[in-house]
Amino acid sequence: MIETGIPKLDEFLGGGIPKGKSLVYYIQPGVEGEIFGLQTIHNSLKKGGRGVFVVSSTIPEIIKGQFREFGWDIDKFKDKFFFVDAYNSLIGAPSNEKYVVSNPDNIEAFSKIIMNALKELPPSTIVFGSLSTIIDLCGEKETMQAVRSWNKTAKLYDHVMVYNFTAWPYSEETLKAIKDELFNAVISVGGIAERVIFGQYFGIFKADWTNENKKSMLFRVLRPGGIRLYIPKILVTGPFDSGKSTFVHALSTRAISVDRLGTTVALDHGHIDYKGFSADIFGTPGQERFDPIIKLLSGEAMGVFLVVDSTNPTDFVRAKQMLEITKTYGLPYVIIANKQDLPGALSPQEIRKQFNLPEDVSIIPAVAKDKTGIFEAFEVLIDKITGGI
Amino acid sequence: MSDYTLGIKELDSVIGGIKKGSNIMLIGPPMSGKETILYSIMYYGATKNENAVITVSTRESATHILEWFKEQKLVLPLARVGIVDCVTKTLGGASVENENIKIASSPVDLTGIGVKISQFFEEYFMKKNIRKTQLHINSLSTILMYSNIQTVFRFLHVFTGRIKAAGSLGIYVLESGMHDEQAISTLKQLFDGLIEIKSENDKNFIRAVGLSPKPTPWFEYEIEGADVKIVGRK
Repeated sequence: MIETGIPKLDEFLGGGIPKGKSLVYYIQPGVEGEIFGLQTIHNSLKKGGRGVFVVSSTIPEIIKGQFREFGWDIDKFKDKFFFVDAYNSLIGAPSNEKYVVSNPDNIEAFSKIIMNALKELPPSTIVFGSLSTIIDLCGEKETMQAVRSWNKTAKLYDHVMVYNFTAWPYSEETLKAIKDELFNAVISVGGIAERVIFGQYFGIFKADWTNENKKSMLFRVLRPGGIRLYIPKILVTGPFDSGKSTFVHALSTRAISVDRLGTTVALDHGHIDYKGFSADIFGTPGQERFDPIIKLLSGEAMGVFLVVDSTNPTDFVRAKQMLEITKTYGLPYVIIANKQDLPGALSPQEIRKQFNLPEDVSIIPAVAKDKTGIFEAFEVLIDKITGGI
Repeated sequence: MSDYTLGIKELDSVIGGIKKGSNIMLIGPPMSGKETILYSIMYYGATKNENAVITVSTRESATHILEWFKEQKLVLPLARVGIVDCVTKTLGGASVENENIKIASSPVDLTGIGVKISQFFEEYFMKKNIRKTQLHINSLSTILMYSNIQTVFRFLHVFTGRIKAAGSLGIYVLESGMHDEQAISTLKQLFDGLIEIKSENDKNFIRAVGLSPKPTPWFEYEIEGADVKIVGRK
């Protein structure tokens, strides 16, 4: 079993990709999907495995540069990592790699080198940087046939085969073969498009070694860092002086506040990177005259933290009012019972009663200034947003 | 009101504006000034019409393009200008991406080019809230040297579709005389119109086909610095 190192994906796959299996990242054009293959091979090297990267759309040096952009030092694996260079010959340049395809537009020539590598090397993770480029050069039918035999051979030699495939409008037949037949697993990597692509997600389309799991996750690509699960915006709201800014700052890897006389008049903005999740956090001002800002931010947010001062029940009316505003947007929310360290703080149960909230609403006790309870709250909210995957 | 204009007054007034979602091929012989025409469309679109302009360059590096504008003493509104540079990495030059420049690994890497285009679209559309965006590809001829016609066709099929969906304007440069007729007519089906350039007796002419009910007349033009000046009409 090799792990892809992509947050949540290994979990979805029941731990990773078993030896002898093949997996394709089926990427919608325009979506930053080729990183999936890179991250997979890097992670398997990092875990002590061996790797082969088949380059067909650029020179190996540029691929090395891409690894470096993500902060991954690939050179230190040099006796366990090889390139199959199927590009340099295309532009008539010499190659220094161990495996060179001399005619990248001829599938037999291509196949010969791949087969050699498959038979010579101990069990490795073999990543094709761009299957689509091979199809473009060698033809659809020819390439499909070759892939079929590569995967068969890989199975005999215990290799893991991973392909990046950009789903250009190829023939129906080709696309269907790729989705349904050629690979043990298909991970779709797509874009959320309104008029332009504004969000990227991945999900399991199929994986024959585990229960099919069609849930999907939003992601972003960080340089350095690689794939991060992504929750676009999280709103932090609550009455005046309940500790929203403290909460935003405590949760954030980096944050700024726009304030005057010690209270927030515009907004707090932070960013969190936690357990593979990446989120932008916006804190709203508490005073009523700023309610339009809450509405504005709610329109774009994906989840809400409502921070209340547990020692100050008189503010709960206002808190409830603020919750109503965001609730009209149908956003998942978590209530933060802040200032639990102060005398007279009400327990979450008492707050639930005061608010008259059902049991399924999460109320998390917290002390924002000491960072107590806040990451727990974050995990609860993420679970609500992603449907508890 | 028209959706997009080219900034060549005489041509614009005959065309009467280009509908949003249009994909246009700019085709002409080598050294007829196609590049300058494209840059002047880019400059006019970004400054006068406040469009965002994304240029995919397979011929000149991004730094080169930006320098050219500087030399012409033209100030590009950089917040609305994006260049996908497919040259620098191939030449082994230093490749630093910034707000205006994204570097694709090679002209073969259509997947990578597509990603960069989409990223600029997202930025202008979602983050900067600019509703009118132009995509210039300069040039399809270079891309066709590296990839076969079916591959380029599939790439364009996706991106001309995106241009339509986003209500943008796409302009794709092609060298005439470099590709066989069949290739050109295959690609033509993806486009709504042509801007055609021809050279005769040391004179250059331009016209638009398919953007108005009838092809426009041929206009004779001269290029002075960055200006495309219409000097006559055939």
